[in-house]
Amino acid sequence: MLATRLGTLQLTNPVLSASGTFGSGWEGREFSDLSRVGGLVSKTVTVKPRPGNPPPRILETPAGMLNSIGLENKGADYFIPESLPKMKQLVGEHGRVIVNIGGESIDEFVELAERFTAAGVDALEVNLSCPNVQEGRLLFSTSPQMCERAVAAVKAVTDVPVFAKLSPNVTDVVEIARAAAAGGADGLTAINTLIGMAIDWRRQRPVLGRGIGGLSGPAIRPVAVRMVYEITRAVDVPVIGVGGIQSASDVLEFLCAGAAAVQVGTAQFADPALMVRLVEDLERELAGLGRSVGELIGSAHPEAGPATPGQPAAAGASAQERR
Amino acid sequence: MDGPIPVTGPGQFYMLRTPTRWPVLLPRPFSLYDRAPDGSWGSFLLKGVGPGTNALLDVDVGEDVLVTGPLGRTFPADIEDPVCVAGGVGLAPFLLLARAAKANDRPVRLLFGGRDRAALAGLEDFEPIARVATSTDDGSHGHHGLVTELLERMIERGEVRAGETVFCCGPDPMMHAVAKLCERRGLRCFLSLETYMACGYGVCNGCTVEVDGERFRGWPYSKTCLEGPVYEACELVELRS
Ligand SMILES: Cc1cc2nc3c(=O)[nH]c(=O)nc-3n(C[C@H](O)[C@H](O)[C@H](O)COP(=O)(O)OP(=O)(O)OC[C@H]3O[C@@H](n4cnc5c(N)ncnc54)[C@H](O)[C@@H]3O)c2cc1C
Ligand SMILES: Cc1cc2nc3c(=O)[nH]c(=O)nc-3n(C[C@H](O)[C@H](O)[C@H](O)COP(=O)(O)O)c2cc1C
Ligand code: FES
Repeated sequence: MLATRLGTLQLTNPVLSASGTFGSGWEGREFSDLSRVGGLVSKTVTVKPRPGNPPPRILETPAGMLNSIGLENKGADYFIPESLPKMKQLVGEHGRVIVNIGGESIDEFVELAERFTAAGVDALEVNLSCPNVQEGRLLFSTSPQMCERAVAAVKAVTDVPVFAKLSPNVTDVVEIARAAAAGGADGLTAINTLIGMAIDWRRQRPVLGRGIGGLSGPAIRPVAVRMVYEITRAVDVPVIGVGGIQSASDVLEFLCAGAAAVQVGTAQFADPALMVRLVEDLERELAGLGRSVGELIGSAHPEAGPATPGQPAAAGASAQERR
Repeated sequence: MDGPIPVTGPGQFYMLRTPTRWPVLLPRPFSLYDRAPDGSWGSFLLKGVGPGTNALLDVDVGEDVLVTGPLGRTFPADIEDPVCVAGGVGLAPFLLLARAAKANDRPVRLLFGGRDRAALAGLEDFEPIARVATSTDDGSHGHHGLVTELLERMIERGEVRAGETVFCCGPDPMMHAVAKLCERRGLRCFLSLETYMACGYGVCNGCTVEVDGERFRGWPYSKTCLEGPVYEACELVELRS
């Protein structure tokens, strides 16, 4: 009932952690049995160690938070021997280990993909929200050409599924999604944080040390749901929905919008055992509905046909009926 | 708060959140103030400064609060007879310490400062078990002035000598002043930082401070929720300038 699939990657259930919001899972091990989640996605790993941005790095905002962590991580040389074995141990036999990689050039993405493929991972997630330092510092996530090249370069050196993590900070996310698919992506993760800013008017300075930061949490959920819906109607590649998920009902909303799996981020800060609880709640909700995860994916799309009468309507489905 | 409350060291904290009181999303960190010896109840000392603390102060008896902890490192346990310096709700981490010291017949020395008498909440819990001196900015209780002046006076009178240790918790400017004074006078100083946190258990990297010290193995930032909130003052880069 809970099983789902991202291309060739089978998941026992659709609940994954979102990159950068659960470390490598080790700090969360005492709060729940992580072998019950669909999988863990690592914090972005870069080639070289990155100390990250100056504090303050976080701020709570209405129904969300801003962060400017700056991809703080100790680099692949540390991650591969220290963190990767722990992730594998935590998810056990059935959970998946997905490593999120961040490059500052195509070459760095290739190097990371080669090393993690050799080290053994179930899938790679390409964090496109990184500047291409070699070519004008533009983000990979904002240019269709660069996005396609980065994904294709990673695909060329690995045999594990490759997911492209998309940024919402673009005019047309479908255009970027198409480019990632053309590059051979086996899945698309949508969405990363929305760029925002907060200013302390008393000091007349931005609150965060870096100035700008990424907005996450329930505040961005409608944006994420809309983007998942648009992408899955236009592109024939499985999508992992992420943005503001707090409850099983939110997970179901993303499934109906077209997501084949979801990631949970900010909400885990408030509740370290959230992912496992979502798996349990989801099972109960689906049993009540008499439906499986697979049956709900994309069920809010018009081409999926009218919602069956009496079926407790997901937000998208009822809107569809009224139209 | 009803137990069971795990054994918690002085300086350790819990993340608290009211699940039903929209719009507060993230939990907030608080030191455990008091705990029944058998763990059957625990308490926190809260000051309302914003939406998170105010939502918690509004909670009715019997209402659910999400609690994660104990988290973080304690003040070092091997220091005998430290001088505790507290400002306002910075008093919170010291009650467990004072109770333990009293049980060993070595009542702790506490210097406790606040804006006025009302800011000295919790004072009555310490008076029977610790050697307390107070200060207020408005002179409404104890010394009329800053808590650092109390510490300076103790040093001058030879009641505290070089090589002894100060434990401090309070507003940033006060902790800075105490750390500087300790440095000048050759005292060791440990601070419990009140950093802005999102998760409290080490996964968000949001709570970092700039550090320098062997235990950080060359990394310039430390997560206060895991490696703190207690740091020796000499580890904090911000205090060097
Ligand atoms: C380890 C630890 C233990 C703590 N123990 C206690 C305790 O026992 N009792 C208690 O009352 N408080 C304690 N605090 C402080 C408490 O967590 C904050 O007051 C609380 O998070 C503020 O949340 P808020 O939503 O009410 O206010 P916010 O809206 O978050 O803040 C209100 C105002 O305070 C400022 N502010 C908030 N947090 C901080 C901070 N960390 N550093 C500097 N300025 C800040 C904001 O800039 C703003 O001006 C502790 C903090 C830490 C890290
Ligand atoms: C503190 C923090 C750190 C993050 N770090 C990363 C990261 O390293 N790499 C990445 O691809 N996304 C990162 N993200 C984005 C999340 O993975 C996710 O896409 C986003 O937060 C939206 O989901 P949420 O609303 O459930 O948090 C981070 C988010 C937060 C809040
Ligand atoms: S508060 Fe999240 S890492 Fe410390």
